[in-house]
Amino acid sequence: MVEDEQIMRQVRDGEVNRLEVLFDRHQRALLHYFLHLTGNRAASEDLVQEAFFRVLKYRRSYQTENTFRAWLFQIGRNAYLDHLGRRKNEVAWAAEAPEAASPDAAPDRLMEEKQETALLRQALAELPPEKREVLVMSRFLDLKYEEIAAALQCEVGTVKVRVYRALHELGDRFFALRGEPLS
Amino acid sequence: MNCENIRDRLPECLAGRLGESARERLIEHLEGCSGCRGELAHLGIVWRGLEALKLEAEPDLAMKERFQATLAAFEAGLEQGRLAAVALPGPSRQVPRWAWQLAAGLAVLAIGLIAGRGLAPRPSVTPEIAQLQGQVESLHQLVALSLMQQQQSPASRIEGVSYAYSMTQPDPQVEEALLYAAGHDSNVNVRLSAVDALDKYAADPNVRRALAATLAAQDSPLAQVALIDLVVKSKDRDCAPALRRLASRPEADEAVRQRAQWAIDQLGIGVSR
Repeated sequence: MVEDEQIMRQVRDGEVNRLEVLFDRHQRALLHYFLHLTGNRAASEDLVQEAFFRVLKYRRSYQTENTFRAWLFQIGRNAYLDHLGRRKNEVAWAAEAPEAASPDAAPDRLMEEKQETALLRQALAELPPEKREVLVMSRFLDLKYEEIAAALQCEVGTVKVRVYRALHELGDRFFALRGEPLS
Repeated sequence: MNCENIRDRLPECLAGRLGESARERLIEHLEGCSGCRGELAHLGIVWRGLEALKLEAEPDLAMKERFQATLAAFEAGLEQGRLAAVALPGPSRQVPRWAWQLAAGLAVLAIGLIAGRGLAPRPSVTPEIAQLQGQVESLHQLVALSLMQQQQSPASRIEGVSYAYSMTQPDPQVEEALLYAAGHDSNVNVRLSAVDALDKYAADPNVRRALAATLAAQDSPLAQVALIDLVVKSKDRDCAPALRRLASRPEADEAVRQRAQWAIDQLGIGVSR
């Protein structure tokens, strides 16, 4: 499989139709990123289109020191911030996120799992947006710390600290909701 | 390694991303530190619990089709740019032949006027120049209206909006076409361009009324935000009911609701009359 970065170099050098391959590879992750941030499917789909339109528009500025994925998320993040009018808003979490539970679990265990998941979803929704974002990137999108650092335009060491603090705060909120404060 | 350094690495440990030597150092520390062991246990519960919150949503075919339309429009725009760069101003494939004939006629007229008047200094706007400017304006109007038709490609429609934007005098037909594009064009980029171009028409009371209707019927969050910004920029208080409805509509995008509330605050129209 041809690497993303090689394809993006082709796009940068004028073969813009090659971007379709990258769209196919990354639209799902980008859609999930925006869904986690906005909780709104229509807005998230618009933002995916906007992000890839910006990739086309700014294709000549692509530098190969970062992965294409890191650059794409950096562009996507800027599109999202513009979408918010560059205001630091508390954005509602998607209430209709799927609830997973092991299918063969006993009914009471199933109920307990559902309650735990609901509490964790609530805790995540209450997390400050910048902490939620770094957890989404790390836990749900499986971005490497180097890619998160490029997308957030900060040092890798800063990402490590942010992910830990976000997870720790999420734990505090989750255990508090369960009635057992952690720290 | 101290506890602080160790704890910063716990998420990587839970994600299975630590290298062998880092993992060994971490285990060595954990064996002698009950505090960090407890922290790892608690974070592990949260980390594993997050698995259930992973989204399963799949992109649908319409997303791909929208992207393909944008890509095709972009490629067409690039191709037009290349043609324009290679040849001196000549007929573009997207602009009708009559428009170019009219443009060529106007160019000949302009050359004739300049040659006929000689080089003597004269007032900056003569009747002839004013007439010529009016004819150029008419040409822009014709080209804009022609290119903004829905059967044209999205790139051509955006080009049509650009022609409309370059017009110096308001024109009712162009206003109408821009309002239609802002509210109903199938391509969101065309809608956004049309909203930008409506900026210069926003003082017209008819346009203000139409903007309120467009805002109320708009289904693209990006276009909604752009329309709200235009309403605020033009201090259009006529849109108050539409903004209030948008700010309180539960099914509206959260960012749009917040932007509508922001607009209400900016315009000072928070209290219903």
